[in-house]
Amino acid sequence: MSSHTKTIRVDTLARVEGEGALYIKLAGERVVDVKLKIYEPPRFFEALLRGRHFSEAPDITARICGICPIAYQMSAIHAIERALGTRIDPAVRLLRRLFYCGEWIESHTLHVYMLHAPDFLGYQDAIAMARDHRAVVERALRLKKIGNRIVTLLGGREIHPISAAVGGFYKVPRKQQLQELVEDLKWALDASLETARWSASLEFPDFEQGYEFVALRHPDEYPFNEGRLVSNRGLDIDAAEYEDHFVELHVKHSNALHSVVRGRGSYLVGPLARFNLNFDKLPEVAQQVAREIKLVIPVKNPFRSIMVRGVEIVFACAEALRIIREYEPPTVTRVEVPNQAGVGQAITEAPRGILYHRYAMDEKGLIIAAKIIPPTSQNQKRIEDDLRDYAVRLMAWPLEEASWKCEQAIRNYDPCISCATHSLKVTVERAEADGV
Amino acid sequence: MADRLRDLGVEAEIRSGEALDLIEAWGGADHVVVVDAVETGASFGTVRLWDGGKASFPADKSVSTHGLGVSAAIRLARVLGRLPDRLQVYGIEGRRFEHGTEVSPELKPAVEHVVRQINAARRL
Repeated sequence: MSSHTKTIRVDTLARVEGEGALYIKLAGERVVDVKLKIYEPPRFFEALLRGRHFSEAPDITARICGICPIAYQMSAIHAIERALGTRIDPAVRLLRRLFYCGEWIESHTLHVYMLHAPDFLGYQDAIAMARDHRAVVERALRLKKIGNRIVTLLGGREIHPISAAVGGFYKVPRKQQLQELVEDLKWALDASLETARWSASLEFPDFEQGYEFVALRHPDEYPFNEGRLVSNRGLDIDAAEYEDHFVELHVKHSNALHSVVRGRGSYLVGPLARFNLNFDKLPEVAQQVAREIKLVIPVKNPFRSIMVRGVEIVFACAEALRIIREYEPPTVTRVEVPNQAGVGQAITEAPRGILYHRYAMDEKGLIIAAKIIPPTSQNQKRIEDDLRDYAVRLMAWPLEEASWKCEQAIRNYDPCISCATHSLKVTVERAEADGV
Repeated sequence: MADRLRDLGVEAEIRSGEALDLIEAWGGADHVVVVDAVETGASFGTVRLWDGGKASFPADKSVSTHGLGVSAAIRLARVLGRLPDRLQVYGIEGRRFEHGTEVSPELKPAVEHVVRQINAARRL
């Protein structure tokens, strides 16, 4: 029997944040090789932070990602506050959760509608989709705008938010300013419920994996900024123990690093992990719509991540309304944080998954070491493992469609390639030969 | 550049360049000018001007983290009927597109040229 070799390279991975590179080689019924190539980890930023005062870390790290700047600010701030023993006003804690609600609404809406939905509906891109599904895209526009309003109000400006600080916020909104968001957020809650229900109408390939899901877990709430790090395989640790349990492996074909659970292997972070490990902490409105659309834990099909993101947008809208209802401006918007030596770690839940930061400061408050591990870096190996199992069923497909299906499988993860690297070029190349 | 334009009385905003955000930002305006760094293969500092209202506006070549960029914003806005009456796009040929870096000092003349062009067009 002759052996049929097919190599798939996607030259440019479309519709991920940044660009992406993929190489798959198939021989007969086997996947011979999978390489998800990434250039440049965010080591540039780790180097840039050295020698800077800790107060600059939120502003510097916010520039790592155009879609999730708040995640970087929150992980930086919490790590530094932990190192320095800073205690914040409870109202500041609420505002930080509200801040994250805005980012989740923006990021998840962008991905669900503009980056992921075209795959399921058979469109090349969101523009083509908009011609036939205009109302859907208009909904996305308005939803994202509402998320952006929250981020702008708390962050102080449209992009590169400047108000979040170690110790609190430089400026906080008045209660009235938050009240002005309520009507829009009520609309957003209804729209997000519609989004979740709409996502259930999509067709999903029958593809499940035995993941180790890793996410924060908090005793009282769906996690954003606080909690222990847990998994469905028994992990239950503090952020300070992260580097004892997770190892970064340098991979020859990629300038990013592959994260694995020490002694085990790849793992998955992001909406599926959060949803599977924290379903009971979702507000009733989110749990109810999940049940309605038959999204039952454990969700092990990565293509159904679009449904989970839909439910998380519901959560973010409901949580934003709850916070605004309870909010009273803090007595102290920002505590003074004196310079002192210290080391601190923190993990917060970026839209794409856990984002780990560690900082070491000297007695002048200058950063002497920084470590940043983005969620997409952590999912890198898991994405490759998915492709290794998924690609084999695409052997019989024409190359162009097989390549597109592989791109879809990567987009399940909403990879923020700009966080894991500067730019990632996806190349899928096909070679056909008998007996070779 | 935004500061320079504001000093001249031009309403200017800095945006991420993400498509949905741009469409919202230019909503309600009659005349919009978008300025962005581009990579076309031209020499560093070259300034180009495109008419965003034309269907032949070039497609994005991703040099930043904008999932859907300026070109997608224009094409999507056209489909949704959300293009301003007049949309111009200035592209300044860049060299470094990494996050966290400042604009190259050598681009200052090109930036100033675009500022003057925008200000002059406003007076017409």
